Amino acid sequence: MNVLAASDPRANLCRGSVAAGLAAIWLLVGCGPQESRYFGTTSPRHGPDEIWINNAGEPEWLDPSKCSDGNGGEIIANTFAGLVQPHPATLEPLPDIATRWDVAPDGRTYTFHLRPSEWSDGRPLTAHDFVYSFRRLVDPKTASKYATNGFIFKGGAAVGRGEAAPESLGVRALDDLTLEVELEDPLPYFLSFLTFYSFMPIPRHLLEDLEARGIDPELWTRPEHIVCNGPYRMTEWVFRQRMVFEKNPRYWDAEHVGLERVRVAMVESYTTALNMYAAGEFDWPGSNTSLPAEFMDYLSGFADFHRDPYLAAYFYWINTEAEPLDDPLVRRALSLAIDREALVKYIARGGQIPSADLVPDGLAGYRGLGLPVFDPEEARRLLAEAGYADGSEVPPITLIYNTSEGHKQVAEAIQQMWNKELGISVELENQEWKVFLSNAELMNFQICRMGWTGDYADPFTFLELLTSDCGNNHSNWSNPEYDRLLQEANRQTDPAARLARLREAEALALAEQPLIPLYIYTRSQLIKPYVRGIDGNHQDRHPWKYLSIDESFDPAAPPAADARAVALPAEAP
Amino acid sequence: MIRSILRRLLELVPTILVIVLASFALVRLAPGSPFSSEKEIPPEVRRQLDAKYGFDKPLPVQFLRYLGNLARGDLGLSTKYPQRTVNEIIAAGFPVTLTLAAVALIWSLLVGITAGIIGAVRQNTVWDHAAMAAALVGISIPSFVLGPLLVLVVSLRWHLLPPAGWGDWRHVILPGLTLGTIYAASIARLTRGGMLEVVRSDFIRTARAKGLSERLVIWRHMLKGGLLPVVSYLGPAIASMLTGSVVVEKIFNVPGIGPYFVDAAFNRDYFLVMGIVLLYAFFLLVMNLVVDITYSLLDPRIESS
Repeated sequence: MNVLAASDPRANLCRGSVAAGLAAIWLLVGCGPQESRYFGTTSPRHGPDEIWINNAGEPEWLDPSKCSDGNGGEIIANTFAGLVQPHPATLEPLPDIATRWDVAPDGRTYTFHLRPSEWSDGRPLTAHDFVYSFRRLVDPKTASKYATNGFIFKGGAAVGRGEAAPESLGVRALDDLTLEVELEDPLPYFLSFLTFYSFMPIPRHLLEDLEARGIDPELWTRPEHIVCNGPYRMTEWVFRQRMVFEKNPRYWDAEHVGLERVRVAMVESYTTALNMYAAGEFDWPGSNTSLPAEFMDYLSGFADFHRDPYLAAYFYWINTEAEPLDDPLVRRALSLAIDREALVKYIARGGQIPSADLVPDGLAGYRGLGLPVFDPEEARRLLAEAGYADGSEVPPITLIYNTSEGHKQVAEAIQQMWNKELGISVELENQEWKVFLSNAELMNFQICRMGWTGDYADPFTFLELLTSDCGNNHSNWSNPEYDRLLQEANRQTDPAARLARLREAEALALAEQPLIPLYIYTRSQLIKPYVRGIDGNHQDRHPWKYLSIDESFDPAAPPAADARAVALPAEAP
Repeated sequence: MIRSILRRLLELVPTILVIVLASFALVRLAPGSPFSSEKEIPPEVRRQLDAKYGFDKPLPVQFLRYLGNLARGDLGLSTKYPQRTVNEIIAAGFPVTLTLAAVALIWSLLVGITAGIIGAVRQNTVWDHAAMAAALVGISIPSFVLGPLLVLVVSLRWHLLPPAGWGDWRHVILPGLTLGTIYAASIARLTRGGMLEVVRSDFIRTARAKGLSERLVIWRHMLKGGLLPVVSYLGPAIASMLTGSVVVEKIFNVPGIGPYFVDAAFNRDYFLVMGIVLLYAFFLLVMNLVVDITYSLLDPRIESS
């Protein structure tokens, strides 16, 4: 008998059909009578000192130098403390391990004064640990996917390319508690970027100790070894099941850390995560669990549903080298023929902000270009000017996107808009993620969908995408004038003059339309009404140390308007 | 008997080798790399990563190296979970998948055989029709519908069991039922069919003629006939419970190895893909063997040649 021949075809089912089945069930639930103002349970099930959250998957690395995924980033952000920390609502940098800092008049040299503090094993934390960490981030031997984050330091790019020794990096410990950092450019966003997990300190003594004991120092973040300096420390890590964190008594501000214990699950399926939230197994599905568009209308009716703007843009890259898209007129016509309001209202459905600009309006004081989000008349005129009296004369165009229901719906809507407004028929092709990435990298496409999450609150995080030597520029578009404007902007010490240059650059680029911006994301999430301390901010960063459980919460009472506001400790850190 | 088992075991080796070669070739032919990501990785970093996993060597060298490691029982490093070896990942997940399959198997046998016996003994009564109707429904409902329905009713409405997760006995029940039901339904129909086939045969008539009680006739004679088709079904059923757990493990977030089937391939986690393929190939081949042997024990007419 042949077992193989009888193998179950259901094994081949992939997420798509699973999701479809689950969606069908959820629709059934959704059609039921709405009994509560909240989605699921409303009383804490894990006591006043503990919270259960989700982290949507196993982290790749918990090593700050090596981590490059949100699942790891969330853990690192709460187990390590850097020089500065983000304000829970405004994200502006607040003192953390550094109590104060001096900036040289040229804006390139920062001197940080550190508070005396300890690692979780009681060893003193010094400026040398930061020096070690920053060098390690950039050193190609570390093989960090986020090594480029350290290229802001003087000499960073040369070290990263293996052309200079890590010791030549512009970071120095003047003494145990004084750190001097030299930057390549006077970046105005440097301090907020410094709150990012790549810049957390590394316990050098632990890595050296492991090496001396013959243990691979790469394994230093496993629970049996890990040493950290942040609000929480890991006490348990069961692969793909859970991580448990307890308050780190040696964190310098431990007295203001709210909860004793944080239990983190790794549930990848959003429907499963929603079930667990509804049943009260999760008090908060966490920053890394995204709610799907198909449930948005239903969920947004509940009082524990929250939506905040999110610093990320959704756009289409255009390969500007292949006909007919080598003509900027055609590219602009395509952009203007998209009805972004309709796209957001009927397809994306998450309250996203329709935008033909790449940089969100108001970002760090930036005044957005305010390009028209839909102008079919002008689109037709531009197409005619390009020499196509009718869209059907335009040579065939293919648009690729990575397999996902959401991307498919957006692509189909745009395909239909282009056909309706311009008469251009575009072919759609979905590709599995890694195939898609490989085609994007090799410029093996005409139009491809992409998203970009800002790493820091500054227009540069988006505008850098279009520079000639940026590895993330998937347009084949390059313009020396654009590169020059950005460079000039970053050398400016006057913030207003800098923003003006950046704006000039964005206008220049979008007049040639190497990419088609569609909308600015929002982040929607569910938070149990008895959970306190999750403020809204545009990077969806919610430090656990501010969390608390309000046991006196009364589900019958109307939801408090300020339930999400985080109260910082009086003697502000 | 033992000789033939040994020979069959030896025959596994070339089969496994072919599977290793085929899966190695297929996974490497797929476009993309384990390290491709939305964000550009500096070339120097990419070189270091490739060197760490040996991807900088020519493919034949990589293949031979893999075979060498395999011979020592080393399945390599995962690229998606860089702090774990494939051996560790499988050791963490396979017992979970086995536990789930065991619960599903017990459930399907208990329910299936009981319903089958009722159907056969009370042929063409209300009991029979009810049991077979239930079996028909069980076969027709896919696990990705049954699972969420159970969660909806048992977890969210009645608050009896957790909706997902893993840890204690309460977490095993819903996924076990979801996975086992479809097999229970098949087993019920097979048991009933098998028993009805022998119900009119000479040895049953003889058994009745020599005055055995109806109970003994059913348990000792009819059931044996009824179970033969079930046994031959169990081999593929257990195999597909193990491979078919992909969906159930996703729905209930069970940390077994099912999801790697899909995810490891999507992530181009080369060594993990190969480790999982090898594990299942080995398991399926051994299951084949076990079924053949059991069959020859139950039915002397089948020679184990």
